[in-house]
Amino acid sequence: MRVLLPLSVAVPLVAAALLLAAPQSWVRRGFDAFAVAAAGSVMVICSVLLAGSTREPMVYWFGGWLPEGGVALGLVLVAEPIALALATLAAFLVTASLVYSWHFFDTTGNLFHVLMLVFLGAMIGFCLTGDFFSLFVFFELMSVAAFSLAGYKVEEEGSLQGALNFAVINSIGAFLVLSGIALVYGRTGALNLAQIGESLAGAPVDGLVITAFVFLIAGYFVKAAVVPFHFWLPDTYAAAPTPVCVLFAGIFNVLGLYAIARTYWTMFDGVLGAELVNLRTIMVGAGAVTAILGALMCWPQRHIKRLLGFSTVSHVGMFLIGLGLFSPVAFAGTIVYLMTDGLVRGSLFLCAGILLHRLRSVDELGCDGLGRSIPFTGILFLLGGLGLAGLPPFGTFVGRALIGEEAARLGFPWVTYLMVAVSVLTAAPVLRAGARVFWGFGPGADYNHRSEAEGDEEEPETTEAHETTPPLMWVTAAALLGVSLVAGLVPDLPVRLVPAAELFLDRGAYADLVLRGVTPHKLPLPPGAPLLEGAVTGVIAALAAVVAAAIGLWHAKLPASIRDSITRSLGPAFGGVRALHSGHVGDYVAWLTVGVAVLGGLLAATLG
Amino acid sequence: MSFNSRRNLFFLGMLGFGVLYLWGLKGLPDFGRYEGVYGITLNKVAVAQTHATNLVAAVTFDYRGFDTLGEEFILFAAVVGVAILLRAQRDEAATADEEAEESKDESRSAPHTSDAVRVLGLALIGPTVLFGLYVVAHGHLTPGGGFSGGVVLATAALLVYLTGEYVALRRVSPESLTELAESVGAGGYAAVGFLGLLAGQAFLTNVLPLGTTGQLNSSGTILLINLAVSVEVAGGFSLILAEFLEQTLLVRERKHG
Repeated sequence: MRVLLPLSVAVPLVAAALLLAAPQSWVRRGFDAFAVAAAGSVMVICSVLLAGSTREPMVYWFGGWLPEGGVALGLVLVAEPIALALATLAAFLVTASLVYSWHFFDTTGNLFHVLMLVFLGAMIGFCLTGDFFSLFVFFELMSVAAFSLAGYKVEEEGSLQGALNFAVINSIGAFLVLSGIALVYGRTGALNLAQIGESLAGAPVDGLVITAFVFLIAGYFVKAAVVPFHFWLPDTYAAAPTPVCVLFAGIFNVLGLYAIARTYWTMFDGVLGAELVNLRTIMVGAGAVTAILGALMCWPQRHIKRLLGFSTVSHVGMFLIGLGLFSPVAFAGTIVYLMTDGLVRGSLFLCAGILLHRLRSVDELGCDGLGRSIPFTGILFLLGGLGLAGLPPFGTFVGRALIGEEAARLGFPWVTYLMVAVSVLTAAPVLRAGARVFWGFGPGADYNHRSEAEGDEEEPETTEAHETTPPLMWVTAAALLGVSLVAGLVPDLPVRLVPAAELFLDRGAYADLVLRGVTPHKLPLPPGAPLLEGAVTGVIAALAAVVAAAIGLWHAKLPASIRDSITRSLGPAFGGVRALHSGHVGDYVAWLTVGVAVLGGLLAATLG
Repeated sequence: MSFNSRRNLFFLGMLGFGVLYLWGLKGLPDFGRYEGVYGITLNKVAVAQTHATNLVAAVTFDYRGFDTLGEEFILFAAVVGVAILLRAQRDEAATADEEAEESKDESRSAPHTSDAVRVLGLALIGPTVLFGLYVVAHGHLTPGGGFSGGVVLATAALLVYLTGEYVALRRVSPESLTELAESVGAGGYAAVGFLGLLAGQAFLTNVLPLGTTGQLNSSGTILLINLAVSVEVAGGFSLILAEFLEQTLLVRERKHG
């Protein structure tokens, strides 16, 4: 069993190396089959490990360098349920998008598959490592693979521009993380997460600790796309190939949040824990701003992939709220929410990809009614929209309910309302676009809509429009949606997750496990949380999203007075927020530096 | 955002960033007062445990060998990424119409290589390869190793181009060969990891005989990993070189030919 741990990272990397050596004369299907088999076996490895880790968490020391006297010489992988759940999700999404790309690209060699497998290995290493510097190495490996995958459609200017913005901003984020690591290493002389945690615990909170923490948080905020570090995301999502978008939206961003939780709970809890109340306020605030801004940007989009990009920003904000509550129940809720929501958004991207494959466009107005020939994809797309709104039994409602309840208990009663409003605002444009594209609802194409994306910027990823949609494409989309749905049907999901979350948030237990090989006590399962209220809220949110979508489609029919008041009250907010997203990478860098300064100022003022 | 407001915003942010950074740096130990437990422990035990006199190599290829595997794959991914991003440009150049080509041609054509460069380049190829191999092979003894030695080896490929012609470079490093080197180098490192598993030990355990400290044939898998890394690095850099040259030279070659 233990030997599966290194294999979960080594197998995808070796498979990538072997695939690169495969002769170009191989038929295309050879590359496809090999890559799918490799990613699939990694998924099996991760699920076996996940099942094992819920019974007994494990550690694996590379090179046989076991820690001596609490000092780690070598590198360690830590198998605990939360990390493995994310690793399994990553493997599942990579497998799904490789299956999907089977018919998606008309021409492709082996290079795409090679990078996808490297990307997978990096994500799994990132999830499982218990070493601070390895975390950075896999962060970089993931990013380098992601840059090239994002720019895969080189023939298109927007694609390279998006990939370039992505690379520039994320490299600055990586620089921040590395600087943070250097500061922490300078103080503690250690790189093992658990060892650093023990070394920092009880130390005074000084400039070095605060600066290191700010740099690390800001660097991972870039990756997670938290406002104002998020600007790269919509440009990249709009231009990246669809199978890659699935990975970005489903797992890549939330791994940034995972890294923040890992960083805080293994290393900084001992030194910053006394100021948790202030820290909680800052994180919840940052999450709320991100959620609202992302939601505001969703509404005016007509480019469907860009719309889904902004919905990712918005939902990342909600996950950050859950994470920033610093409590096991909220963390369990966040994990459920980000996994099920990631699957839903992944599925929506796959549906958008089917549109591209079929119609060569993902422009909501340009495709008005053109999707009538693929109603099944339309149904999946609408279901995805309802999943975003948190309609039961999609797992999304479970996560949202847990976060909301816990937030109210900790003195943030408004969080539930905010999350419902934000899910409605992100789901409604998806439903609107779906109803218009697949059924031709709403006024015709002459209808004048203020929008972000003018016309068809997107080059098709396939050379010409296809007459038919290969079943594998919508089957993949349905599978992602199905898993998210099934997750919500597991009756005691939160109950099972809370002990795992408690383990994740227990610095002492983590250090005992890693440095001393002590297996943590099996925590008793807490009594089941009633989710009825959350389910009712979910139904209400879904209905509200449908109403909002209808308003979006037929708002010309509303009385002029109501229309005017909507325009007057919301117009400036939309316009102002839109103007910030200029596409100029220099603007993005400027906002990033301001973000670091503001974050630093806030933390220095409250913690120092 | 206008240029001025962007600049002001940036410098405002940088001011905050700079103050924060200085505040953080102030907390570091004073110069010369090193207290890092990791470094002190390794200095005591590493030579005895790994038989490598270059402690950097002992750390990167043994204690933290898994990190370095990740780093090697960063280079691997970057090289594959370059190949991906430059692939269509090549088709594009091949189909570009003649007129657009003429205008590009001026900026792309290089002056004729002088005889001095050719002779000196030719003379340097042998020593460069030898030096590269030396740096690679002595990585566990003295500063150097697979990463730096691999780059030196790739310089030899550049010298071939300088001395002869692009065609000659393609002959000594065809794309399939450089890709194979990439693959063998990266996969070889991972294979050393599996060696540990086969011996019933942990992944990347140094299971080969460690030899006598200070000898060329010592330090077990560290030497082997250095060789694998050098193949990967040399192959990767040659591939990048060839990809970029192809971009530039395709047009020129067609004009002359």
